[in-house]
Amino acid sequence: MPSFFKQRKKKTNSEDHKESGRDQPNNRSLEFIHDSISINLDMIKQKTGNSSDIVIRTLNISLHSEIKTAVVYVEGIVDSISINDFLIESMMKNHALQEKLTRENALEVISNNIVALGSIKLVSNWEQLLLSLMAGETLILVDGTNEALSVGTQGGETRSIEEPSTQVAVRGSRSGFTESIRTNTALVRRIIKNPDLWLESMKIGKATQTDVVIMYINGIANEKIVEEVRQRLKRINIDGILESGYIEQLIEDQTMTTFPTLYHTERPDMVAGNLLEGRIAIFVDGTPFVLIAPTIFIQFFQAAEDYYARFDIATALRLLRVIIFFISIIGPSAYIAATTFHQEMLPTQLLIAISAQREAVPFPAFVEAMIMEVTFEILREAGIRMPRAIGAAVSIVGALVIGQAAVQAGIVSPAMVIVVAITAIASFATPSFAIAISARLIRFLFMITAATFGFYGIILAFIMLTVHLCDLRSFGVPYMSPFAPFSPKNAGDTVVRLPWWALKQRPPFISNENNIRQGKDQKPHPPTNRGMVNSHTRKSDQNES
Amino acid sequence: MEKAKISAYQLFVLILLFEHGTTLLLPLAVEAKQDAWLSVLLGMVGGFVLFWIYYGLYQYYPDNLPTEYVQKIIGKVLGRLLGFFFLLYFMYIASRDLRDFGEMLVTVAYPDTPLFIVSALLMLVMVYTVRKGIEVLARTGELFFIIVYLLAITGFILIVASGLLNLTNLKPVLEEGILSIMKITFTQTLYFPFGEVVAFAMILPYVNQSKKAKVAGLFAIGLSGINIAIITVLNISVLGVDLVSRSPFPFLSTIQTIRLAEFLERLDVYFMLTSIICGFFKISVYCYVAVIGIADLFNIKEPSRLVYPIGIVILFLSITIASNVSEHIKEGLQIIPFFVHLPLQVVIPLLLLIIAFFKNRKSR
Amino acid sequence: MNRKWMFLFLMLTGLALTSGCWSKKELTDIAFVSALGIDKNEEGKYVGTIQLINPGNVAGGLQGGGGEAPSITTYSSTGDNIVEMSRRASTKISRRLYYSHTNLLVINEELAKEEGIINILDAFDRDPEFRTTATIIIAHDSKAADIVNTLTGVDKIPANKVIKTLKITEQRWGEHMEVSIQEGIKNLISPGKEPVITGFRMTGNTEQGKKLENIQQSAVEENIQADGLAVFKDGKLVDWFQGETARGVTWILDKIKVTDINISWEGEQEAVAYEVLRQKTKVSANMKNGQPKISIHVDAEGDIGEVMVPVDLTDPSVLLNIEKTVEKKIQKEINDAIQRAQKNQTDIFGFGEAVHRSDPKAWKKLKQDWNNVHFPQLKADVTVEAFVRRTGLRNKPYFFRMESNQ
Repeated sequence: MPSFFKQRKKKTNSEDHKESGRDQPNNRSLEFIHDSISINLDMIKQKTGNSSDIVIRTLNISLHSEIKTAVVYVEGIVDSISINDFLIESMMKNHALQEKLTRENALEVISNNIVALGSIKLVSNWEQLLLSLMAGETLILVDGTNEALSVGTQGGETRSIEEPSTQVAVRGSRSGFTESIRTNTALVRRIIKNPDLWLESMKIGKATQTDVVIMYINGIANEKIVEEVRQRLKRINIDGILESGYIEQLIEDQTMTTFPTLYHTERPDMVAGNLLEGRIAIFVDGTPFVLIAPTIFIQFFQAAEDYYARFDIATALRLLRVIIFFISIIGPSAYIAATTFHQEMLPTQLLIAISAQREAVPFPAFVEAMIMEVTFEILREAGIRMPRAIGAAVSIVGALVIGQAAVQAGIVSPAMVIVVAITAIASFATPSFAIAISARLIRFLFMITAATFGFYGIILAFIMLTVHLCDLRSFGVPYMSPFAPFSPKNAGDTVVRLPWWALKQRPPFISNENNIRQGKDQKPHPPTNRGMVNSHTRKSDQNES
Repeated sequence: MEKAKISAYQLFVLILLFEHGTTLLLPLAVEAKQDAWLSVLLGMVGGFVLFWIYYGLYQYYPDNLPTEYVQKIIGKVLGRLLGFFFLLYFMYIASRDLRDFGEMLVTVAYPDTPLFIVSALLMLVMVYTVRKGIEVLARTGELFFIIVYLLAITGFILIVASGLLNLTNLKPVLEEGILSIMKITFTQTLYFPFGEVVAFAMILPYVNQSKKAKVAGLFAIGLSGINIAIITVLNISVLGVDLVSRSPFPFLSTIQTIRLAEFLERLDVYFMLTSIICGFFKISVYCYVAVIGIADLFNIKEPSRLVYPIGIVILFLSITIASNVSEHIKEGLQIIPFFVHLPLQVVIPLLLLIIAFFKNRKSR
Repeated sequence: MNRKWMFLFLMLTGLALTSGCWSKKELTDIAFVSALGIDKNEEGKYVGTIQLINPGNVAGGLQGGGGEAPSITTYSSTGDNIVEMSRRASTKISRRLYYSHTNLLVINEELAKEEGIINILDAFDRDPEFRTTATIIIAHDSKAADIVNTLTGVDKIPANKVIKTLKITEQRWGEHMEVSIQEGIKNLISPGKEPVITGFRMTGNTEQGKKLENIQQSAVEENIQADGLAVFKDGKLVDWFQGETARGVTWILDKIKVTDINISWEGEQEAVAYEVLRQKTKVSANMKNGQPKISIHVDAEGDIGEVMVPVDLTDPSVLLNIEKTVEKKIQKEINDAIQRAQKNQTDIFGFGEAVHRSDPKAWKKLKQDWNNVHFPQLKADVTVEAFVRRTGLRNKPYFFRMESNQ
């Protein structure tokens, strides 16, 4: 398996990305803007199909000669207050300057002296003009010039920063990403205040022109991986990117797998933590989910809180999560195997109890398990898609149907209900939904193997699953690292989490050579005479009493 | 040769799992009675020597597979023929091991299932793995190494905790004298399991740190020797010499004897899990070695294409190799060691090393 | 790539479908055999009595079972060997017999005496389903079928009742011991050790025991109780050891955990009860002048459990005296057991194995006629060290106060 880095290296030329994604492959003509404003405005109307949300405001801004000017923007995606206050108002009422204004210097004067907004730039071709218009910028067209001004007035209604709903933490930051990419990058910038936090933005999607930003810390992230991410993003040629899931599926290493090879998160602190480890974040406009690459398997069992809690607690919780994951995969299949193939391994009393329950059940154990599992999946799916108000009703019906009626009707045995319930809770307790959902699918595969070959089938399926996991890579990093290939240096922050003072290094397989993250001897050194101090105070206490 | 590299640690893990493959399953050196563990340890020492021979050959030709350097040492035609014999040997042993596992499963847990189906399933998983190449196999090995060790430790604790360990069964030590132990070592334990490391002569060229490979290999043989000796001691001290010699799968019987806290009984599945994992690696390594060897010998560009046919050959060979268990075991104990293991594991590599030594001295 | 995946997938599903679950056994299709009794009828065929568990009546709970119907059902079947017997039983039973949870094997006393147990045990040793950890017992003075047929009170499954009784009595009393099939076979074939197996006896009316009324009354009429140790020679039952002789055997085999030893005190018979709490027996052999000599050393620790005469337990010298008497008593139990075994010419203590371990060369010569010639002449040197550690919640018994009052 040769490294793909070598294959791709020649094609890349790092210089031409820095200027971001304006140079998308495009077939539209790069026609220049016409001198006449009326033709230009007609052109805009024609190109946008006379859409009703496009506002064209024509003004006269010169006292002497009539210079026809037009302000064009798309209603709803612009900040209309700043357009009114700092653009239109200042253009109309700034009489002192209006005198200086001539047709030739109009654009320069407007941009230098009149418009009181931060971002402003000159555009000369239609392509750019329309793109910036659609991105929420406001265009200023002046009659007689073949250029236009594009003012950054992006705004409009967006969701405010709220607590993330998928990755809740008891301790830790309460802010989650929103749909606005600027807000999102800003949230991370606020955490890592460092000029080395680099952003590269590009637009992906021929129709949607979605903003995509690669964020990494220069000097920590591995340049090869950054380059690889860049390359894979550039390769994408699709009409629309609606969510980071599109990107994920278009840049992942292997598609024939149920396991996610890219991590996505809603938490800025998680992104910051991963950036500090040398990973790369991919922000996509319009979604609060940020992708993180490269990803390893064990990441899905780590919650942000693990790093805030004490290390022993974090370790215990992580171990628990791994066990939970196993239960959610092999729970029902182990039950099927034990009750249809390997009755000898169950304690006699338990077997008799299960057997007594199964006595009245008309189905084989496999069918029984399938019925319950499918019922449960239906209930879960219904619960997720339903409006909140009805969701409660669904769960009541589900509890009654599964918990009571099915058992009383003799369709399933209580033991099976217990197994399914434990499995269900286990799959909810997995911290990452992405991995829990793949466990859900694999569970059915395991159930089939268990029903045909008992534990032998489960063992074989388990070996196959492990081989598959070891085969996966995420941006060249083996998915099961640091266990396979094993590197003891990285194992401190996997299933176990060592105390922070012991985690001296970043994972070297992800970051570049610069992987020392803390100074020497960070272990806290409380004063050694504390014991004496205590005994002294105790003595004085006794004296007082 | 596949363009892959494995680390010395991965080699260590692979050898370790490989050595445990069928030794967990089958009785070892039963003729040595309660001194079987001594025979295992002596076999381990022999294993060091054998590995040193294979490593010596590898050092003369660090970038070549044995199938290639055999041709360099003894000429094109003879070398090819010998290489081909080695590959046949690997396939044959792979099929023997597959048969062992098939028999175990059919006897223990799936009496109504045809042997063919049971073996075919195992082979299917191995074909899937071998197609992915040595790197994936090695990485999988690293994961299962951890799992197997966890299982081993819990198993050991269970046996000790249920008070089954009766070390008096190991006495008297050296009842038949050291010579008879030596004899058993040189007729059995040296070749199986330790001499089987010859398969790793084909894998050594993939190791990226050639110096560490030696240490890793020796450590792996040493550790597996100790582990196997411990297992033998456990078997004998729990079951007694007589029962061990009567059991086709003594370790299974040991595990079955565990009774703890009224509910940990009949841990057959536990045994199945451990032994199938180890056996999986053993047969996979043989299978992989056969695949790359044949690809190399016949200049086939994509070795992965060979995996299916070779898997099927091994599968059918394992079924047709013997008509019943007793024949299978008899072959394994009496014919194979002298006519197959001894020449291919010891004599030929040693001769090759000597020839290679003189050839390379001349050229220098 | 895709085609290969498809191929793999097809192969998998094909296998899964064609395999059709050969070795599958649904819980509702199997009958759990909890105990198996083996007798022999007049025609010389084996009669197996199979005790099946009725899960619904054991588990109780949701199904509302228990009480109305017996928790077990027994069937009997005949055959020339065990496997035939077991297979032929399927003519009577609607389900596949499942032996993995069989914990108890009961063997008829007559069968054990006349034919021996060697012939029977191979089937259980060989079968992968049967647990060799299952306990083996001998039906003392009754048919194996009777023991298997009897319903029991507290433990709903009679097999469990027998095993638990055996376990508890081994732990608390020490005259009996649990022997698994595996141990039994191990001792049967070992030239230096012969097996001992606990006997179980029926008390009361055999017919009554099969009825549910038997367990629906407080004083169970029909009961199964441990009774004696069956001693074997060459696989055949030769003698029963009872009471203290039996305990002598368990002393030597180091199986005593807790027991009670009564000693006489100042003329009063059995006046002080000494409770053994811990003990360790070491058996070693050495060769002297070509003759094997066995030395047995017992270390016992315990408390005073009861006194029936005024004994000043606060006086350490009195305790020393008690210790000495206890030592003698234990010594006597052990010596009695050895003598009786020597009379039977069967080495149930594993002295031969001890000789083997200490001097394998000498053992080769002795092995041939160990039981018949050497073992009966064996000198055994028994030393016992007993310690009284505590005297319970009281030191002096209240008899002293009563005496001084008079």
